[in-house]
Amino acid sequence: MNRLLAGFIVTALLVPTIARAQSAGSLLEQGIRAYTVREYDGAAWLLRHALTAEGANALPSSETARALMYLTATEVARGQRDSAVSAAHRLMVLDPRYRPDQQTFPPDVIAIFQNARRSAPTVSIRAIGDTIRPGADAFIVRLGSTASPEVTATVNSADGRVVRTLYNGAFRDSVDLRWNGLDASGSPPPDGRYAVIVTPSARERHGASASWTLRLPIEVAHLPVDTLPLPAAPSDSLMRPEHGDTKDAVLALAPGLGASLAIILVPKLVASGEHASSARLIVGGSVAIAGIAAFLSHHPGQQLAANERYNRSLRDNWKRNVAEISRRNADRIRQTRMIIRPGAPSLTTSGGDTP
Amino acid sequence: MRRILGVIACAACAVPAAAQQQRLQFTAGGGAFQEIVQSHVDSNNSRFTGLLLGAEGSLVSDRFIIRLRYAEGKVNPRNASIPSGGGGALANVLHGTAAAAAVDSAPRDVVEGEALVGFRALPWLTLWAGPSARAYTVGDANQRWLIWSGRASVRGTLLPGRMQTFLELWGALSGNVGNPPVSASGRGADGGLELRLGEAAAFWGRLGYRIQSTHAEGLRETVESLTLSLVYGLPQ
Repeated sequence: MNRLLAGFIVTALLVPTIARAQSAGSLLEQGIRAYTVREYDGAAWLLRHALTAEGANALPSSETARALMYLTATEVARGQRDSAVSAAHRLMVLDPRYRPDQQTFPPDVIAIFQNARRSAPTVSIRAIGDTIRPGADAFIVRLGSTASPEVTATVNSADGRVVRTLYNGAFRDSVDLRWNGLDASGSPPPDGRYAVIVTPSARERHGASASWTLRLPIEVAHLPVDTLPLPAAPSDSLMRPEHGDTKDAVLALAPGLGASLAIILVPKLVASGEHASSARLIVGGSVAIAGIAAFLSHHPGQQLAANERYNRSLRDNWKRNVAEISRRNADRIRQTRMIIRPGAPSLTTSGGDTP
Repeated sequence: MRRILGVIACAACAVPAAAQQQRLQFTAGGGAFQEIVQSHVDSNNSRFTGLLLGAEGSLVSDRFIIRLRYAEGKVNPRNASIPSGGGGALANVLHGTAAAAAVDSAPRDVVEGEALVGFRALPWLTLWAGPSARAYTVGDANQRWLIWSGRASVRGTLLPGRMQTFLELWGALSGNVGNPPVSASGRGADGGLELRLGEAAAFWGRLGYRIQSTHAEGLRETVESLTLSLVYGLPQ
């Protein structure tokens, strides 16, 4: 009994792990086997799950194309024509050069594929995740086509605003769109979700029966960077008064008059009885005049040029420090790295068909 | 005289470097002194005037200051009165009454100096102590006043960093005059104005008035000076 319980517990722990570990490739092979034995519902389930796998478990491009082709065939067999067309569209977006094996798939499947190929834009988009230095490196998006379409490619923000135009013109076979991670003003955009949007140019739209939009979602994140805090503006307590006041005026006058009086009177104290010379009057008078001049230079309303210069110097020093630290921070931000992770591309046609 | 000038020159070269090493400040300067001397020997009164040239320097730490001053020159008699029978104390000091009569009408070669140590009790108040000497020669005779004094000096700012006033009062703690020495005493004052020569200049100009009155038995001498000096560094 105990053994049985232990067996159940081990199974309960292991089964989810094993199921999770089942690779997308394995699901694809099982889906193809189910299709060949005409288990179409099971095949559709297995193929869809194989296509939804992400990250390291995701199918490579060639296998994804194969899965989409079998999914198209499965949906045709299930009588789900819209789903079949949608899968065929996805296949065209992924690989415009893909050609199904006419020996493997029945003619009605080939016909659906050919119709999808004719109606869908023959433009593919592909990118791999990258870490770049904004302004120095580039995130590369490859557009492919079997024709020579004239397209406009932009990086748009989540609200649809154009952040940067990457390409505008025709191309043959393929073209690499390079985004240096900066917006139109030359600044790195904030972290968030963006998309590379490819649309046919106005002339291309005019000539075609249906318009389309190819969208490659991307997620932008900046690696954190240490920036220096800006110094605080000099406080008022550090500033000197730029206009005189009564107290300062009196404080300037007092030592002048006091010293003057002392110089004139001190001979009486030091050498009473002597006839003091007029030298003391010359010096005492000069000191008194200097005191009065100092009083006038401090009187209320008088601009104190020296203090103005001192305060200006203090403010200029602060501004210089702020500019220097801002420059250093800008350098650091310029050196920062941006992670760009692309998502699964999607196609929207004028009929609102979103594969 | 040459020796003294040599010592001053050496000090002027050595002190700034040493002060910088010890994080001390120093000032150095020179000036001219117009002196008016009133000399009383018993009832014998004489008045002299003349020009002295001098140098000064100080070494300043946070709280302590050392100040040296030296000046020399010649003063000439202006009006002398020589009453008969005078010269009791002067005879002791100047070796005889006949000599006294001769010197009161003769020019005097004067040398002055002081060496003081100051303690800055408050930012505007400094207390000083140290010796000061004043000597002159008349013919073959020497007269030397040596006074140990205690002083207090105050400074007031008229325009910050540009103009300041100062006043110094002193009183003798002990002293002597002549050879053989006779006990002497005295007091004095010094005051004036200091003005920075230019906004960021290192030199200051000083206009000052100095008076000192020293006395011994039967002898009194009052010296007034109008001083004009040029000082390198913030005067302390």
